Amino acid sequence: MAQMKVDVLIIGSGHTGGMAAKILTEKGIACTMLDAGPMINFEKDRELKPSFELPYRGLDAPGRLPHVFQSSEFNANQWVDEKVIPYSHPADQPYNWVRVRSLGGRSPYWGRQSFRHSDYEFKSKDHDGFGENWPISLKDLLPYYPRVEDIFRVSGHTDNLPQYPDGKFIEDNAPWSGAMQRFVNAGKTLGVPVTKARSALGKDGMAASLNLVIPDAVATGKLTTIPNAVVRQITVDKNTGLADGVLFVDRHSHREMAIKARVVIVAAGTLETTRLLMISNICNSSGALGHYLTDQIYGAGIICSVPEARDGKATRGLMGGGALIPRFRNLETKTNGFLRGYAVNVSNNTGPFDARALPFYGKELEQKLQSYNGSTFSTNIMGETLGHYENHVALNKQVVDAWGMPTLNISTKYTNNETNMTKDYIDTMAAMAEAAGFDILVKNYEFNPPGYSIHEQGTARMSDDPKKGVVNKWNQSHDMKNLFITDASVFVSAGWQNPTITMCTLAMRASEYLAEEMRKGNV
Amino acid sequence: MKRRDFVKGFAVATATATTALGQKQTGAQNPPPTSNGVDQGTMAVQPSAASSPQAVARVQRDSQIRTPNIPLSQPDSVAVTEARYFSVVRYATLVHLCETFMPSTDEYPSAVKAGAPEFLDFYLGASPADQQTFWNTGLDRLNADSLKQFHVPFAKADAKQVDTLIRPHLKGWMNDHPPREPHVRFINLAHRDIRTATINSPAWAKAAEALGERTPGVGLYMHPVDPGIQTWVAHGVAQAAPTPRQKHA
Repeated sequence: MAQMKVDVLIIGSGHTGGMAAKILTEKGIACTMLDAGPMINFEKDRELKPSFELPYRGLDAPGRLPHVFQSSEFNANQWVDEKVIPYSHPADQPYNWVRVRSLGGRSPYWGRQSFRHSDYEFKSKDHDGFGENWPISLKDLLPYYPRVEDIFRVSGHTDNLPQYPDGKFIEDNAPWSGAMQRFVNAGKTLGVPVTKARSALGKDGMAASLNLVIPDAVATGKLTTIPNAVVRQITVDKNTGLADGVLFVDRHSHREMAIKARVVIVAAGTLETTRLLMISNICNSSGALGHYLTDQIYGAGIICSVPEARDGKATRGLMGGGALIPRFRNLETKTNGFLRGYAVNVSNNTGPFDARALPFYGKELEQKLQSYNGSTFSTNIMGETLGHYENHVALNKQVVDAWGMPTLNISTKYTNNETNMTKDYIDTMAAMAEAAGFDILVKNYEFNPPGYSIHEQGTARMSDDPKKGVVNKWNQSHDMKNLFITDASVFVSAGWQNPTITMCTLAMRASEYLAEEMRKGNV
Repeated sequence: MKRRDFVKGFAVATATATTALGQKQTGAQNPPPTSNGVDQGTMAVQPSAASSPQAVARVQRDSQIRTPNIPLSQPDSVAVTEARYFSVVRYATLVHLCETFMPSTDEYPSAVKAGAPEFLDFYLGASPADQQTFWNTGLDRLNADSLKQFHVPFAKADAKQVDTLIRPHLKGWMNDHPPREPHVRFINLAHRDIRTATINSPAWAKAAEALGERTPGVGLYMHPVDPGIQTWVAHGVAQAAPTPRQKHA
């Protein structure tokens, strides 16, 4: 059979691979999209079950997914098993690499918090001297952010805060509940802005590439989608030095196949993208590939009870709702002990109280649970971590995955910057909760290991300088002009924000640039 | 079997039988017997056999089969988990700890009646070594503290003595961060696991149903997909890496 050459080959079908497929096919460019996993059939593959029918009563198979704290016996089958695709880390540098391998990647499961980055992130070096600036600013993304927000149907409130750029929202003008209003007021006295959360509504209960962008590409008739295709190498034309396709292995049979392409887009998800580039031995003339890994700290927080809501005495409108505290440290003034800042997710819920937060047992605990029911107020941190050069990944050729591919050794650790940031966060939230009249039951200063947030970023960062970055400001490889990277591996710094909206915005912008370059014959 | 389930199963079975009868009356035929020599294996490697009229008719008929509705039960409704991991003393300590943390209420059975000790014995017996050590050490410490302070094993300690041994170690915690100090950590994690094993037990589900309350712990379960990667590879169907070219030489 004669080998075809596809116009654009996209590796990965998550949010950014899907976005690239949508933009390019709508411009008439034929795309072939490969994903390493199967297509999920949401009707067939999932069902409501009581935990008593599960083999381990909800505790899951012992030792099955030690690094996936998000795993439960209900969802264990959706995560990548590290026995199948292993990775390693130094013993004193734990890393939770949380992966999904199915069409759509992690996009069906994200938290949906939808934020724009600000120039406090894009120009962070100018602000505090650490790291590098991005080669773009907020202004460069302004033509694209609203289009992405339209696709995701982002609900939010216009706040006019420079560190929290407003977007094209389905405006949330709902009033605060009574408890939330007390917390908002407490924030005002301490100079801490408490705002409405911003969240993607999506459609039909989902905000994934599978339902928001890939169907548009399918509708053009120009998208070919191949599941179960484990790409094991990007191939290079020896004459031109450009990428000319990939070798992939069928997930089931391990049959190896080759496909030729005019352009390759890598959207495999930060560390998988970098792993593939490393295995292919390309795109590293800068020496930056694999370095500057960063993400956000999660896990630290406080749990409170709103006294007036206990014993079923909550009045109508007292409880309920969530909020978002955007970064407020190190903006106009400098805070001792740490660079950058953190955001806070605030939750005020009317459901059952978490038994773990109450130091009682037996009948006394049951009485407390009954009394505290519907009175929870809690906060969780999203703190920016610093992408040091030493935070890096390297290939481990001694350990291969189920398809014979070298695995990653991930070396990254947090520093005093994160510890001090967390202390400031807990102390500030506790002061606000006390001022609001809440009873603080738990103050947890301990954050989760790197990787937990599933917001891994960097390792193929963008830069105008080919000696400092892997791609340019258009997500285009400095080494191969026909190779683009659209996922968060190109991020220069993490910010406190959930990266999805900015990832998709960059993917949209890069794809339009690519389409124009292809039209001009430059790529 | 619960009467309601039985009635439901009977109703469906009756409907299925009626439908089947209806099909027969309209002239549907039984498929050709597999003894005609064209079985699934032959069809897979002989395209001509697979496309024969008999084979096509049989496959079409087979594809119409619907799963019969047979109500199923959990084994816990008729059987007891064999406890075989913990030593006698540790198991007795665990049983007493379960009864302490989750006694019965007017409406729900205790952890012991819900089979939590046996379940945790099974679960820890199948767990990684560090988890086993964590539990063994924790149970031993409880027993040792009881012997030291009250001269009785923990399993024989009265409520006041047990309270003295446990209450100082109970701490409020959140997310994935139980207390760090090893014995405090054990007490709090054991508490969580005993609660989980109890609340998610078939006995609690039965009690909830009797009370007309929601079944505890209903969630969206994701099945292994297409088939699970682990299953496929673990069965050794395929080589992890392609056979190198020189191997053929």
